[in-house]
Amino acid sequence: MRRLLVLGAFCVVIAGCGPLSRSELTRGVETLSAVAAESQLVADGVAQDRTRSTYARVQARTLADDAAHEAEKLADATVEPGFEKQRDRAVVLAGRLDDTVGSLETYPGDERVGANVHDELMSIADDLDRLTQRLGQAG
Amino acid sequence: MKVVLRIALGIIAAIGGFVDIGDLVFNTQAGAQFGYTLMWAVPIGVVGIGVYAEMSGRVAAVTKRPVFDVIRMRMGLSSGLVVLVASLFVNLLTLSAEIGGVAIVLQLFFDAPFTLFALLGALGLITIIWFTPFEGIERLFGYGGLTLFVFVAAALHEQPDWHAVGHGVVPEAPSSTLYWYFAVGLIAAALMPYEVYFYSSGGVEEGWTPKDLLVNRLNAIVGYGIGGVLSLGLMVAAAQLFEPAGVEPDHLGTVALLAQIPYGETGLVLALLGMLFAIGGAAVDASFAAAYSIAQFAGWEWGKYRRPSGAPRFTCAWLLFFALGLAILMTGIDPLDLTEYSVVLSVVALPLTYLPVLLIARDRTFMGDYANGQIARVLGWLYFVILVVVALAAIPLLLATNAGGG
Repeated sequence: MRRLLVLGAFCVVIAGCGPLSRSELTRGVETLSAVAAESQLVADGVAQDRTRSTYARVQARTLADDAAHEAEKLADATVEPGFEKQRDRAVVLAGRLDDTVGSLETYPGDERVGANVHDELMSIADDLDRLTQRLGQAG
Repeated sequence: MKVVLRIALGIIAAIGGFVDIGDLVFNTQAGAQFGYTLMWAVPIGVVGIGVYAEMSGRVAAVTKRPVFDVIRMRMGLSSGLVVLVASLFVNLLTLSAEIGGVAIVLQLFFDAPFTLFALLGALGLITIIWFTPFEGIERLFGYGGLTLFVFVAAALHEQPDWHAVGHGVVPEAPSSTLYWYFAVGLIAAALMPYEVYFYSSGGVEEGWTPKDLLVNRLNAIVGYGIGGVLSLGLMVAAAQLFEPAGVEPDHLGTVALLAQIPYGETGLVLALLGMLFAIGGAAVDASFAAAYSIAQFAGWEWGKYRRPSGAPRFTCAWLLFFALGLAILMTGIDPLDLTEYSVVLSVVALPLTYLPVLLIARDRTFMGDYANGQIARVLGWLYFVILVVVALAAIPLLLATNAGGG
């Protein structure tokens, strides 16, 4: 019984340490898309002066942290052969997302910054969608 | 007028119990991921908690025995002890998550470190409990939580597709494991055991007698009905505003966006206030539920209506649970992860909690003319079967979906 438990634990560790599969990479990119989508809503509130600056700042910080966390996860992981380029692209987009949302954290009451961040986030979201499509086609 | 005021007990149990951090997050996530298709799970949970809350309130009014008293009497010492330990563990996780939720909302209002607001939030709740009579606590959190209706207004403002909403009341047969994980989570979040521990003990605190059975019934129907409407409002609003945009609401702050998008800053403030009162009320419910359970099991003096010196061990118990809940938060664990685990783990305790209530409520030796009638008997057993199915499915679904992570 004890041997079985040790073997089970070993299998779990091995499974968790394997290279990132295409579907896991796609899931990571989708998470970034969701962060970009939510950030657009926050930025829109700032751009139209329809939010509280404390709320926008805290929420932007949380979302920027999510993007940074996803970037670290993707950068640290090894991927299945043939998907390195897509992984690198995802890391770059995650970094852009982190920086863009971060500026909302710095200027949560500035409507002009809100509008610029919103536009930049739309561009990042488009890039992420294209990356998701490429990953889908690669399967 | 007096009856209306007394329905407050049901409203706090509904707003601060039914709609707590778990419901705010689960309903919003369900709407954002699955649109209207999980709406059917909400009425199942609402009717279930209404049926068992009415039974436990009736038992409390007629026999003066709250739920944990009944559990020990019906299940004996050793089995009762298992239920006690399981429910205290789940209560502690729930309380910790609710204190974390209060801290997050305060942070969204004032932007200061989370740990500071967790501490201030817990101290604030303790102060309110200490200095406010039981009825005052009910009204403060129950009526304060009514600002959550801004989510229902938001859902209607966005003009939902009523045809699709209608389809949502029927379960989808060929669906993913994630879909069923959310279905189980929504039903479990509605039926959290601490709600009936608090509700039935609250009935004893308010000195209910058989004359109050109408108030009990109205509490169960109106209070939990309101909770259900709020849950549906969250889900419908998320289905309209988050699903098309591709938002995955993984943070409590995201929920408030549902009110900000249609109503701007006013909507945001109303949403955050409602969340603060609802989650704060749930923290009070959970801490009292834990203290009630221990005191009733051990035969201590208990009750908020007694001064702390009249029920010192009961008072120490809820204070200790606040301290433990805060200590768990200070480890850095995410309150939303805690919520998810507390909801799913509570499912396992559901049949053990509700079966003794059902057995006592139907027993004419205890209840006399107030024993379960035909409708309560049928609904009680039907829901017991549902609880067993949900309990058996919860853990496999939790593992299969990586706790909802897909």
